[in-house]
Amino acid sequence: MSKWQVLLIKEIKHLFRDTKTIVQTVVVPTFITPLLLGAIFWYVGSIANEETKKTYDISTYSAIESNLITQLAESDRLNILPEDSITNVITSVTEGNSEIGLVLDENFSENLTTDNSAKITIYSKNIDTFSQAKSLVTNIIDDFEDAERNDRLAALNLTNEYVNPIVIEEEDLTTEEESAGSIFGAILALFFVMYVMSGSTYPAIDLGAGEKERGTMETLISTNISSVDIIIGKMLSVTTSAVLTATFSMLGFAIPMVIIFLFYADSVNEYLFSLLSALLNPVAFLAVFILIIPLSVFMGAFLLAISVYAKTPKEAGLLLGNVLIIFIVPCYIPLINPGLELDFVGALIPCYNLALLTNNLIAGTVDWFLYSVSFISTIVYCCIAIYVTYIMFDDENVIFRS
Amino acid sequence: MIEVKNLSKKFKAPSEEKGIFGFKKKDFWAVKDLNFNIKEGSVASILGPNGCGKTTTLRMIAGMLTPSKGTAFIDSIDVRKDKQAVKSKIGYMTNNTSLYDRLNVLETIKFFAELNQIPEDVYMPRAEKLFTQLDMNKYLTKRIADLSTGMKQKTSIVRTLIHDPDLIVLDEPTTGVDVTGQSVIIDLIRTIKDSGKTLIFSTHQLNEVRDIADHIVVMKAGEKIFDGDNDAFQALDSSKNFTEIFMELVNE
Repeated sequence: MSKWQVLLIKEIKHLFRDTKTIVQTVVVPTFITPLLLGAIFWYVGSIANEETKKTYDISTYSAIESNLITQLAESDRLNILPEDSITNVITSVTEGNSEIGLVLDENFSENLTTDNSAKITIYSKNIDTFSQAKSLVTNIIDDFEDAERNDRLAALNLTNEYVNPIVIEEEDLTTEEESAGSIFGAILALFFVMYVMSGSTYPAIDLGAGEKERGTMETLISTNISSVDIIIGKMLSVTTSAVLTATFSMLGFAIPMVIIFLFYADSVNEYLFSLLSALLNPVAFLAVFILIIPLSVFMGAFLLAISVYAKTPKEAGLLLGNVLIIFIVPCYIPLINPGLELDFVGALIPCYNLALLTNNLIAGTVDWFLYSVSFISTIVYCCIAIYVTYIMFDDENVIFRS
Repeated sequence: MIEVKNLSKKFKAPSEEKGIFGFKKKDFWAVKDLNFNIKEGSVASILGPNGCGKTTTLRMIAGMLTPSKGTAFIDSIDVRKDKQAVKSKIGYMTNNTSLYDRLNVLETIKFFAELNQIPEDVYMPRAEKLFTQLDMNKYLTKRIADLSTGMKQKTSIVRTLIHDPDLIVLDEPTTGVDVTGQSVIIDLIRTIKDSGKTLIFSTHQLNEVRDIADHIVVMKAGEKIFDGDNDAFQALDSSKNFTEIFMELVNE
């Protein structure tokens, strides 16, 4: 067995005997995160579901009787609260006593009968994104307006086609895979990058600054092991932890989905079911996993270089915390700009390329040339990071920095 | 045989002069123009107050630090030219226990033996002999984190000797060890001495030196202020004891 293999076995044994490593590598990605995400989805879903049955209070002010108010009152889900003034309507909405405030202009009925435009003012607070109050009210107003328009057209012996010379028909050709890629691709990539980082950060600190602080680094370099063997052994240990974390995080996503398909398929919304089905794509997962491996090595070497430079684990934690932003930000960009397409330059940016490729792999629209560019460029970054780590480990001023 | 020739080491350390980013760093010589020879099979001790350059000297001899000037030869191998060859001849024990907390004693010894590419059928009998000699057999499957400081020190000794090095370098081996532990280490140094191996150690315990060292090097502020055997040391002032002579030397 070569020296780096001896060191690797020792480091893995030492790392995985630490409960913190097991929690971070296995427990959190496999159980805690899926449970947490499941709980969040369930909670959000239940709120959205409740909103579909809820009855909303609508404060109204109208100087004269109107059919519109009567039609609103006929809705099972609207509870009309007539107010004496516009101010009271605004106060009611502001204080949360009603969801929507509706004020009909004092000439509302007159304008309608004289074929003019009648004005309605809607007061609302648009912070409750789940509320259906506004859409319920506007739908009734739209129906009221349609009826009014039809009456006016009929009076003039005109048809609907006369005022709508063009009819636009839209057909969304987005496949379920593309929708799934667009919705989940960047989020999954962000999760994977975060797991690779969390899987490498603690081992990097422990095997770098931690060993310096405990004095075991001095013991290690007093033996006739070369710097290259030390780097290979330590870097592969960090990478193993990162890849394991990424693997368990993938399992953490895949296993609950398989369980849903096998046992709860009937209770899942049809659209969501089709999206989740598109996500369960073994080729996409394998291709993402292949990209994650060099990324893990890159991060492992990079974080190890920083950790070994630090005097103490505390300093290493501080330095790594700042450096990790470099990896997170490129993942966020596709998340907040879902329409982004990967190009050659983008394929050279680590994490950014992973986010967009994950999206494309799930959607089935991946450009394999750009995939190869991303893979090869990440390997080049790996080599640079490994070289920097080598310089660090070979520099006695860094190893004995205190 | 260890030959130390003009061995020097320069470090950067904060000076009293303030710069934009704190105190400016200046060069200082931690070890300067050190010369001495240690015969094969002898026990040498490096003495001196804290910060006099003992650890830096030992680290340079062991190939862990590159000398800024001069060099050291271990059995004619230049530490500047072939660090790995020097390291394979040396068993170096740092001044703290410095072992892996989550490995047990046996795993620790196995790791260092395999790192030195020693086959199991060679290192196991050697380890068993040392375990018995140091009365460690009850603790072999215990993790390092669960051991007492004395037992950790014993484990460090076994890992230092497991590849049967020609030269043993011990940096303050009795620091932080209780009286029983110190006695074990002194006994072990005597055993090593009897086996004909060369040993060099730094210490603050002057009694140890008087009893077991063949050769004494006293350092002060990075420079050698005494180099000779026990008799030559005592001959500096026959009216004074070992400690008094040492105190006078370093306070001059």
